Parts: sequence; C-alpha cells; structure tokens
Amino acid sequence: MTSDLQTFVPRPDRPPPADSAGVAAWIRKNLFSDIPNALMTLLGAYIAFTVLSAVLNWALFNAVWSADTRRECLDAVGRAGACWPGVAIWFENLIYGLYPKDQVWRINVGFLALILWMVPLWIPRVTSKIGIGLSAVMLYPFLASYFFLGGDKGVVWTGLIALGLTGFVIVWATALTETLQAKTAGAWLIDALGRANAEEKMQTRIRLLAVLAIFLLACLAVWSVSFTEVRTRFWGGLFLTLVISGIGITFSLPAGIMLALGRRSNMPVIASLSTIFIELFRSVPLITILFMFNTMLPLFMPAGTEVNQLLRAIVAVCLFASAYMAEIIRGGLQAIPNGQYEAAHSLGLTYWQTTSQVVLPQALKIMIPAIVGNFIGLFKDTTLVSIIGLFDLMNMARAIGEDTNWLGLFIEPFFVVSLIYFVFCFAMSSYSIGLEKKLATGRDTG
Amino acid sequence: MTKPDRMIEIINLNKWFGPFHVLKDINLTVRDGEKFVICGPSGSGKSTLIRCINQLELHQEGSIVVDGIEVEAKGRNQRDIRSRVGMVFQSFNLFPHLTVLENCTLTPLLGQQMPKVEAEEIAMIHLTRVGIAEQAQKYPLQLSGGQQQRVAIARALCVKPKIMLFDEPTSALDPEMIKEVLDVMVELAEAGMTMICVTHEMGFARQVADQVIFMDQGEIVETNTPEAFFTKPAYDRSADFLSHIL
Ligand SMILES: Nc1ncnc2c1ncn2[C@@H]1O[C@H](COP(=O)(O)OP(=O)(O)OP(=O)(O)O)[C@@H](O)[C@H]1O
Ligand SMILES: [Mg+2]
Repeated sequence: MTSDLQTFVPRPDRPPPADSAGVAAWIRKNLFSDIPNALMTLLGAYIAFTVLSAVLNWALFNAVWSADTRRECLDAVGRAGACWPGVAIWFENLIYGLYPKDQVWRINVGFLALILWMVPLWIPRVTSKIGIGLSAVMLYPFLASYFFLGGDKGVVWTGLIALGLTGFVIVWATALTETLQAKTAGAWLIDALGRANAEEKMQTRIRLLAVLAIFLLACLAVWSVSFTEVRTRFWGGLFLTLVISGIGITFSLPAGIMLALGRRSNMPVIASLSTIFIELFRSVPLITILFMFNTMLPLFMPAGTEVNQLLRAIVAVCLFASAYMAEIIRGGLQAIPNGQYEAAHSLGLTYWQTTSQVVLPQALKIMIPAIVGNFIGLFKDTTLVSIIGLFDLMNMARAIGEDTNWLGLFIEPFFVVSLIYFVFCFAMSSYSIGLEKKLATGRDTG
Repeated sequence: MTKPDRMIEIINLNKWFGPFHVLKDINLTVRDGEKFVICGPSGSGKSTLIRCINQLELHQEGSIVVDGIEVEAKGRNQRDIRSRVGMVFQSFNLFPHLTVLENCTLTPLLGQQMPKVEAEEIAMIHLTRVGIAEQAQKYPLQLSGGQQQRVAIARALCVKPKIMLFDEPTSALDPEMIKEVLDVMVELAEAGMTMICVTHEMGFARQVADQVIFMDQGEIVETNTPEAFFTKPAYDRSADFLSHIL
C-alpha cells in the first residue's frame, strides 16, 4: 500500500519580485498615480510653498537684525519682516528668567549633570539601566536643588546633596566598568581587591564601605563649596518650565502607578481613596487647581508657615498629572489578561512580585505612547502657571512686548517660544517611537 | 494530621459562585506518586476543583490538605501551598516579555532567592527535559503552541513542586502538537510525580492514570481505574459521556 503513495517534494524558494526601484518610479507611483492624486500633489505643493515662502520672507529675508527699539524696526520694514533684536536682547531671560547673570552657569551645570547622568542609558553595553534611571529620579533632584537654589545648607541638606553626588559618581563608575569590563563597579572593585572568592557577606561589606567612602568625600566636597542663594521668584523662562514639568513628569509616573494599583486594589479603603483622588483631580481643570493651591493652600496652613509660590504650583501640577497618569496606567493594567496573574500566583509570586515583574513591565510597554503623550501634554500645560504670576517661558515671552523699548513685540517672541516647545515635544515623541520599536519583543515579532 | 503518603486529601469540599453551587461534597485522596485524570462535561466544575487545590479559587466549606498543610479557606497560607503545587494552564500563560529562560528562573530568583547561576542551571535541566533547551533565549510568542506548553511545564517544575496540576493542557493545541506535550507528561508521570490532570485525552488516561474521576454538575460521579472506566463504566452518565468523546 505504501508503494502507491507519491513522494511530496516541496518547491524551491524563489526570491521576492524585484521592486520597480528608482526615484522617478517612486514619484510616479506615489505622487502621480492618477489624475486626482496628481491634482492633490500639486495643490499640496502649492500650499506648502506659499506658507513656507511667507514665513521665510518674514522671518529671514525681510527681517531686521539690528535695532535698539521696535520703532526702528517698524520704520525700516514695517510689519513685513520680523524684528529680531528685541528677542535677542531678551533671549537670556527667555531661557533663564531673571536668574542673576553671574550665577547662570549653575543652571547650565545643573542640567549638564542631568544629561551626563542619563548618558549611560544610551550606552548599549551598560546593563544596570534600571538602577541608573531610578537613581536619576531619586538622587539627582538633591544635587540639582542646591545648584539652582544655593544658600545656607544645614547638616541634613548637605548629606542629601552629598547623596546626590555619590549617586552620580557611582553611576559613572558603573557605566565605565560595565562598558570596559562588562561588570558592575562593585564587582570590579571586589575583583581588583582580589576578593572574588570571599563570602557574600564580606563582599557586601566591601561594597558598603566603598559607597560610604565616596559619600564622605562627597560630603566634604559639598561642605567646601557654597553658592549664593537665588530665590525662586527670580527663576523663570525655559529653566522654570523645565523645572516644573520635569518634577511633574518624574513625580506623576510613580504616583500614577500607585494610584492605579490602589484603584484596582481589593482593599476597599485604598480603592475608594484612590478613586476619589483620581476623579476629583480629573474633573477639575488644571487652571482651577493652580488657583486653588495658590490662594487657598495658605489659608489651610498653620499661621506663619509660608509656602513658596513655586512650590504651590509644583504641588498642583504633580497632583493633577498623577491623576491623569493613573488612568492611563489603569488602562494598561486592564489590558493584561487574567491568565498572567493566575500563572504568577500559581508559581507562588507575591502581589508585589507579580505587579513589578509580570504586570507592570507589560502594561507600561503597551502604554508608552500614551504615557509620553501625557508627558508632552503636561510640558505644554505648564504654560498655565503664568496665570498665577510665575514667569515661565510663555510669560517671559509676553514680558518682552511690555518692555517700553519693544512695546507690542509679541509675534517674534511667541514664534521663538513655539520653536522651543516644538523642539522639546518633537524630541520626546521621537524618543517614544524609538523606545517602542526597541521594546517590541515577543508580541510583535512572534 | 494525615498519613505522610497522602499528598492531597479533600474532605467534603463545597464551593459556590454567588448562589451557584459549583462543587458539591467533593471527597478525594491522592497518595504520593499517584496520577488522577479528571474528565466530565463542560461546566461540571473540573477546573474549579483543581484551582481550589492551589488557592486560585477559595472554597467555602470542607477541607483541603496538601502535603500535610491545610489550605485555608481565607487564602492566607498561599505561598506554602503554591510552592508545593505546580500548575499548567490550557492557555500556557507564559510571560511574553521574558525569554523562555527568564520565565523559568523568575520564581526561583525572586520567591526562593536562589543564586542566578543555580537558578539558570536548574531551568536548563528542566528545559532540556521537555526538549526546549535550544530555544531558551527566545521569547514565548516566537514558539509554537506545543513548545510554549512544554515551556510552561518546565517553568512549573523549576519551583520543585511535589504535585502537578494540569488544566486541559492540550485542548488549545493543534493535533500535531498534542503528542509532544503528552509525551512530556508521560515522562513526568513515569518519573513518579503526583499528578492531577483535567483532560479528555483518553489514550493518556489509559497509559498513566491510576484513577479516572468522572465529574458532572459539581459532583464526583464515579472514581474508577481507567481499565474499568473505559470498558464498563458504573453510571449511565459516564457511559453517555464516553460515548460522546470516544
Ligand atoms: N469566576 C466564576 N464566577 C462565576 N461562575 C463561574 C466562575 N468560574 C466558573 N464558573 C462557573 O462554574 C461552573 C464550573 O466551571 P469550571 O470552569 O470549573 O468548569 P469545567 O468543568 O472546567 O468546564 P470546561 O470543560 O468548560 O473547562 C461553570 O458553570 C462556570 O460557568
Ligand atoms: Mg475548565
């Protein structure tokens, strides 16, 4: 019977058909495939050309580049060209607010420190990325706060700043040893001391001692420098915008996660408190919350305690952003099938282990676009703090047009401010797209 | 409490979902190394029964003792129970964001605080056992269904359970892949693992089961050796069921 069977021979693979390549072919196929397509292409090109040439004429070709007052600009070109000298004179204020000019380097160094802190995250061979990211969120603020604020630092604050410095040193030590030797700084130190075979306890002790030594050195370093105090009412411009939105963003993610978990909790008290908080802050506009915190918070504080106005704005922004973030995260949590929880539980993982190792990594990955979208929204929403009198980037731009020399100069500063916002938001959204692609394992490649 | 060779002892177990009485007076004793196969029509409470054993469902009346430990109706001693009981699901439920190896080492590393090298060694032993060692660095969704289910078995074994529960491990699989999973289960049974399998693979039941349990409407209707169950079932209900699936 078997002899009757024919043998199945699979056909050999063929290469896919060659694409009709070439620029001309692509243009023909995509832009001029038929008459309506060609018309749309021409119309689009015409609109793009008109808008672009108008903007370029105004911003570059007809613009005035040197003048002392707006009057001079208007006399030279009228409204046909931009009047850039006003923006140029105020540019430093747009970026740094009214921060004393001789202290502005502190802001630059502070932000440079942040960038340096994050650089290891982009080095492929560095493996402790989560630790580095966490340290940036938890420790960098101490370092930055002293750079930005300055003034008297008591023992506690000195310790905290030194903690920040210690974190920075360890991050870079680890980044270096992981790039060059493929092991953490701690492991490298133990190898260098020839203690690789020592007991676990001994090794931990060596690591702790090393951290302590760095910390003490950092304390000394911090103790020996002192910056003059710059009160927050001199903070402004892009700097202030970045401070408010940076704190809001870093606070809102963990707080949002906790709120979302709280809302889904089995414990009724926690669940209802989370729900009340979320719904309360989501159903009131940010601007109202800002007003409330600005005017009403002082009423509830004990007499004599003064809460800094910037702090009030930051608290308002943080709470508002957390409530929104919580709902985004909750959406992500809901997308995780029940089977994942059951599998984790049946393996004996605890609630927190299940949440941190199984559920959140998957939920956050799904929600990256929404989370970054929320960050971008928050970054732009900080313009609202101008309402309570803080001179963020937007309010600073408006101030230019109120300067007697540049009275009425609004369009140019706003143009520049738009560009700045665009650069930041575009960078964030590009980063999120990159991140999504990088994390696209399993589900998409399956 | 129980004699040491009793792995699972269920006495007068009752459970309700709201008003719905899903398990009625279940009594069951499984000795060390015994293999039970549970079958029965859809909705008869098979899954619920074995999920009660590792506390994925909490029971309301009666007692379940696993390896000498009482399964609390309030679910407080979950970790003691779950580290003794491994479970394999119909839909695999692998963690898609972790590689096959990471799926297997997650619990040993976190829950049992095993050193990484040791956890990976153990994981590789079990992955080799189920024939997936070469795929250890892949992500679950890059594997076929049969391979995923074998990983799920290896993952459960890494916790060193004394009892393995299977809830229809092959019913989400294409026929071609059922055999590779059953082979692994047979091997496991021959190695002496205590097993309770909800399955309708009667070939498997004949080959390895010590007892076949037939459930209907929340009750254990019949407990019998596979030989007797398949040739002359004691109840009309079992015979009727068998005539539908054989
Ligand atoms: N969480 C739940 N809430 C309410 N009812 C449930 C729940 N889980 C199961 N049930 C009901 O309990 C009964 C038994 O369910 P169970 O899943 O144990 O059946 P089963 O025998 O495993 O069936 P199947 O062969 O379809 O898997 C079914 O009628 C089901 O609808
Ligand atoms: Mg079932």
